Amino acid sequence: MAAFLPSNPSTSCCSFKFSNLPSKSHVFTLPALPLLCRRSNYHRHHLSLNRVTAALSAVDSPLKSSSDGQDEKSQPLLQVTGLTAVIAESKQEILKGVNLLVNEGEVHAIMGKNGSGKSTLSKVLVGHPDYEVTEGSVVFKGENLLEMEPEERSLAGLFMSFQSPVEIPGVNNIDFLHMAYNARRRKLGQPEIGPIEFYAYLYPKLERLSMKTDFLNRNVNEGFSGGERKRNEILQLAVLGADLAILDEIDSGLDVDALRDVAKAVNGLLTPKNSLLMITHYRRLLEFIKPTFIHIMEDGRIIKTGDASIATVLEEGGYKAISGS
Amino acid sequence: MSALSFSPHLHININRNPKLTPKRRAKPNKIRVSLQTTFPQATFSDPFVIQLAESLEDSLPSSSSSLPQPLPLQKLRDSSSQTLLSTPWPSRKDEPFRFTDTSMIKSSQIQPITRPSSSLDVSTDAQFPSLVLIDGFIQNSALNLSNLPDGVYVGSLLGVSDGIMKRVSDFISEFQCGDLFWSINGMGAPDLGVIYVPAGCKVENPIYLKYLSVEGGNVDSKKLPISNPRVVVLVEEGGEVGIIEEFVGKEGNDCYWANSVLEVVIGKGGKVRHSYLQNQSLNAAHIKWTAVRQETASGYELVEVSTGGKLSRHNVHVQQLGPDTETELSSFHLLVSDQTQDLHSRLLLDHPRGYCRQLHKCIVAHSLGQAVFDGNVKVNRYAQQTDAGQLTRSLLLEPRATVNVKPNLQIIADDVKCSHGAAISDLEESQLFYFQARGIDLETARKALVFSFGAEVIERFPYPSIRNQVVSHVKNLMGTTDVSFS
Repeated sequence: MAAFLPSNPSTSCCSFKFSNLPSKSHVFTLPALPLLCRRSNYHRHHLSLNRVTAALSAVDSPLKSSSDGQDEKSQPLLQVTGLTAVIAESKQEILKGVNLLVNEGEVHAIMGKNGSGKSTLSKVLVGHPDYEVTEGSVVFKGENLLEMEPEERSLAGLFMSFQSPVEIPGVNNIDFLHMAYNARRRKLGQPEIGPIEFYAYLYPKLERLSMKTDFLNRNVNEGFSGGERKRNEILQLAVLGADLAILDEIDSGLDVDALRDVAKAVNGLLTPKNSLLMITHYRRLLEFIKPTFIHIMEDGRIIKTGDASIATVLEEGGYKAISGS
Repeated sequence: MSALSFSPHLHININRNPKLTPKRRAKPNKIRVSLQTTFPQATFSDPFVIQLAESLEDSLPSSSSSLPQPLPLQKLRDSSSQTLLSTPWPSRKDEPFRFTDTSMIKSSQIQPITRPSSSLDVSTDAQFPSLVLIDGFIQNSALNLSNLPDGVYVGSLLGVSDGIMKRVSDFISEFQCGDLFWSINGMGAPDLGVIYVPAGCKVENPIYLKYLSVEGGNVDSKKLPISNPRVVVLVEEGGEVGIIEEFVGKEGNDCYWANSVLEVVIGKGGKVRHSYLQNQSLNAAHIKWTAVRQETASGYELVEVSTGGKLSRHNVHVQQLGPDTETELSSFHLLVSDQTQDLHSRLLLDHPRGYCRQLHKCIVAHSLGQAVFDGNVKVNRYAQQTDAGQLTRSLLLEPRATVNVKPNLQIIADDVKCSHGAAISDLEESQLFYFQARGIDLETARKALVFSFGAEVIERFPYPSIRNQVVSHVKNLMGTTDVSFS
């Protein structure tokens, strides 16, 4: 569930306290319904809440107490609050106060013009060294994400598929996957597995993505076509698993068949517990993977949040139709 | 498409040809000049070199016996002793040694090894026919010559037939581009290893040459035993052979100096695949010459991985003798300690439609490590339609780690395709991040990337067993054995 938190909050009709944020940060109360309601009936409420905003208030009750007795309800997975970030080298500000809430089991899509900061947001979340966070907080599974190293974020269950994954000559694809998978097993306190066992684990996933086995013996992304790179990213997701997968323009450069394969694999990975954040320019992807929410990003902020119908508005009227509102 | 890089000194012969210095007396057998007598007369003579030459000559097993030496060996010693008379020890002022400091050898007490050390049980890779040289002496007992086709000879010059002897005689000491170390080897080589492949013969199994250095001093003693192994490979028209050279010391970090020469002559349409592993002690000096002559439409491939030696220098000289030749040189140097690794290569193209590719990669992983690369490709007037490419890439992993690279193409022909490039870098941040983003820690990622840098060359070894051996050796040196490569 996403909570859209404008910069000048007004009172919420149903404010709900939420506070596993660091004590010094601003604490917003969030629209209560996502926490109180089941996913199925959320939409109705959400629509009516479109203009309802959270209120800034002192929080005295920790989240846990508020969620006690509501175990079946969605738990917040990722909470981004007032996030600003600059390019490390030039100090140019790209993110100018992003607020986003993703609950367990939700599918979110972020759309927006080129240069609006969508990809930057995803890179900042996974700790890309090209960007520096200047303000705001990010809480992932109750922990401060910004204090974690990139590999710790990955091991904590955050996955990002790269828009243009880098070539790594000399490193075999299967070795790379094996290393990453064993790193994950170590983190989970499980014994590492050998190459043969790993192959047995890997093979069905490869098949599901309609990938040939010779793919494994090639160097990571070296000489891969655009489509192969995207499939490879999803293969990594399938191997490693993730609580929150961020797919950065996974649809660009894919033909319809490849898109269907990728979408099928992604849908197959979705469970009531894990969540998805897609970044895309096109509605086509959203027809294959149905989002719970769509956010529109502009100039480093999320300026609108709504359900799948936003994509239709967008397709017909362009971003003007949305930013004008 | 053409590029022009004209050097006014293009045809200067690097080496001083003894025939051009008639003033010096020809001393066919023994240099009898002492320090005092040479000084006023031979202004080009270097007392240190003369002394070294003398002690080498005294050490030769034949000098005491009256047995006549085979003609090629005699010829070699004669020409070498003449050259040594007029060749000074190289200094940093000499261009070929501008970046390579040889004072480690000069300041030691050099001791020629006079006899093969009492026979060791040398294990060789039984899957290949092999020749073992201990401190430059051929171990006949360790000769494993199973599965060799008829007419192929592998062994000491002393055992060859008259026909092969004549062929070897034709080529020996013909090479005029050697340096001081080439001549020292010629003077001090106790024997000559011969690999002979008759016309049209394709040798299926590669021939394994194991050079073992047994004599050695410790670092404090300043003693530096020198060995001068020398092998000639003669492949007649249409013949094909693979050779694997491996240089190792016995365990431990002894000081010794291996001063080795390999000459390769490839007949018309012949092919030689050369694998070269240098894994000497980290206190050793290792100077190596590989001189190759290629006839029309022949092919020569070199894959080198060098990791050992305090001072290691590989001189590669490839000369075309006819059109349509192919040459591929791939080298990987890894420096994990206070050491110098030097590759000086020279490719001379004189005939049309030659093809050559050179890849040099090195990793300097120690702050006192220094890598040197001087790669010269010379495309002369008649070498039209040459396709030449050269690339050198270096990774410097420690502060103050040094690399001196000098890739250079000299092109006189006007219808050629030539390229060269040089890159010196740290690891790619975007690649490191890709590993991290998949949960792999920085340390492991660095190791994997560093290893992959060299893997590009290691992958080119034509034999899987050698590839695996090198992979585990390199990983050991990098301390990556804990990384879970499959």
